[in-house]
Amino acid sequence: MNRLKCSIGSIEFNNPIFTASGTFGYGNDLPEFVDMSRLGAIVTKSITYEPRVGNPPPRVVETPSGMLNSIGLANVGIRIFIKDIIPLYENIDTKIIVNIAGSTNGEYIKVLKELESVSTDIVGYEINISCPNVEFGGMELGVDAKLSNKLITELRKHTEKLLFVKLTPNVTDITIIAKAVEDAGADAISAINTVVGMGIDIGKRKPTIYKTYAGLSGPAIKPIALAMIHKISKVVSIPIIGIGGIVNYKNVIEFLLAGATAVQIGTANFRNPNAGIVIIDELNKYLKENGISRYSELIGKLDLYE
Amino acid sequence: MIIDKSDIIENTQIAEGIWRMVFKSVEIADRYLGAGQFVSVLTDDNWEHPIRRPMSIADVNEDKISIIYKVFGSVTQALTKLKSKDYIDVLGPIGNTFNVDYDTFYPILIGGGIGLSPILNLSKCLVQKGISITTIIGAKTSKEHFLQHNPNKNMFLSTDDGTIGINGTVIDALNIVLKGVKNPKIFACGPEPMLFSIQKILEEKSIPAQFSVESYMACGVGFCQGCVIPKKQNNEYYLVCKDGPVFEANEVKFE
Repeated sequence: MNRLKCSIGSIEFNNPIFTASGTFGYGNDLPEFVDMSRLGAIVTKSITYEPRVGNPPPRVVETPSGMLNSIGLANVGIRIFIKDIIPLYENIDTKIIVNIAGSTNGEYIKVLKELESVSTDIVGYEINISCPNVEFGGMELGVDAKLSNKLITELRKHTEKLLFVKLTPNVTDITIIAKAVEDAGADAISAINTVVGMGIDIGKRKPTIYKTYAGLSGPAIKPIALAMIHKISKVVSIPIIGIGGIVNYKNVIEFLLAGATAVQIGTANFRNPNAGIVIIDELNKYLKENGISRYSELIGKLDLYE
Repeated sequence: MIIDKSDIIENTQIAEGIWRMVFKSVEIADRYLGAGQFVSVLTDDNWEHPIRRPMSIADVNEDKISIIYKVFGSVTQALTKLKSKDYIDVLGPIGNTFNVDYDTFYPILIGGGIGLSPILNLSKCLVQKGISITTIIGAKTSKEHFLQHNPNKNMFLSTDDGTIGINGTVIDALNIVLKGVKNPKIFACGPEPMLFSIQKILEEKSIPAQFSVESYMACGVGFCQGCVIPKKQNNEYYLVCKDGPVFEANEVKFE
């Protein structure tokens, strides 16, 4: 019995444990000890139309129970991605979701159309409207419900594949954005991207990250993520993919109870590239021991005080 | 590369704030390619410190692997508490090696601060091959040194305060050493300002060199894209974990 079978839109995943964009490369070039076929899905690092070299160092630094990063969407660009990386996906069973980023609506659309024009095993796209570390596009889009709706409406016209939209927590009310992208035809909402943060080195009197402001991830942001997912779940009917500081199966159950249908593992992959696989095994064991025949029975089953 | 919960054999202080840990890992030793490679360690099971700490391999003797580390903060402080028979979670080996494929050069090895770790490893490899070398190790003060200053045996120590060896930095020592050798090639590891200074001297004198560079790093496997160093040739970056940590000195740019 597969207790972990997970459905989003028309696609059935082996389990609800995915890897988060930017924390697992493109899914190629993995350490030898990682059996990626075990994962529910891999979400690639963000792809833009042109290659991007990313931001100057320092790009990453540890913080209490978390880390700050400002990578700046370093990626190979859509042409090299299609030429060199997409063919590698033919030989693997794992479901691939391509994360797309852009500076303008036109760039997102161009990247998606390029991907649609080649026959691929990609099951869907995750639209990154929430990167805190680039100057144009990214987060400024994701804080505006009208702009978000317009972009997703446009992208929806060009694909029948899964369309996830990744939201930023750096907004006054995330539910407004969530509703706007649901109305535009998104199949699922991925939440949350990193929380804007900053570190200071008092010796150097400099920010700890070159670009001053950076994205905070890891267990430090889990309470923020849970609250946002719970709030989103009250206003949308499409599935939510929970992201934010998940490091073990207990954290996954928290996200499921809060209303997530699946989760993505991010920062934990940096510590152990097998983190997702360990979590799948732990979760299966928990379900078995507690006589739960489908993990989905836990979704949204939070027992509130009032 | 593998993650191995390795048994600690030894963990001792060897100088002020400097410790050596020896752990046993058949898995990592089997995959080890040579001096320059590093491992990344986790000190505890909680998530207060989520990120591994990269550390250069100082020696591999059969299945026993040595690292030398400096106590910087609470993670390295916690590392000093581990004892023989405890285990440590180690990811490795990571990265490339120094390229010692040469016949004509005279190797000068330079280690600054905790950068001495891969330099001692390389030194042992070269000596075992019967190659004569000169080694320069720099520290702030004599208490941070655990080796002997012995110019007759081509081992030079430097200290910023002059308490042992050459009074000054490794650069002062290098300038002395360079006067006495022909066809030198430098192998260096240490903080960025040190490598930057060496790079400038070498460019003036057209001396080839390889640098093992340090960087902030979240994963060590190429996922995080955090450990970048600018390329000299253009405005792109190398990843220290995948493209390095050893680079030709004329490939990288220090800012």
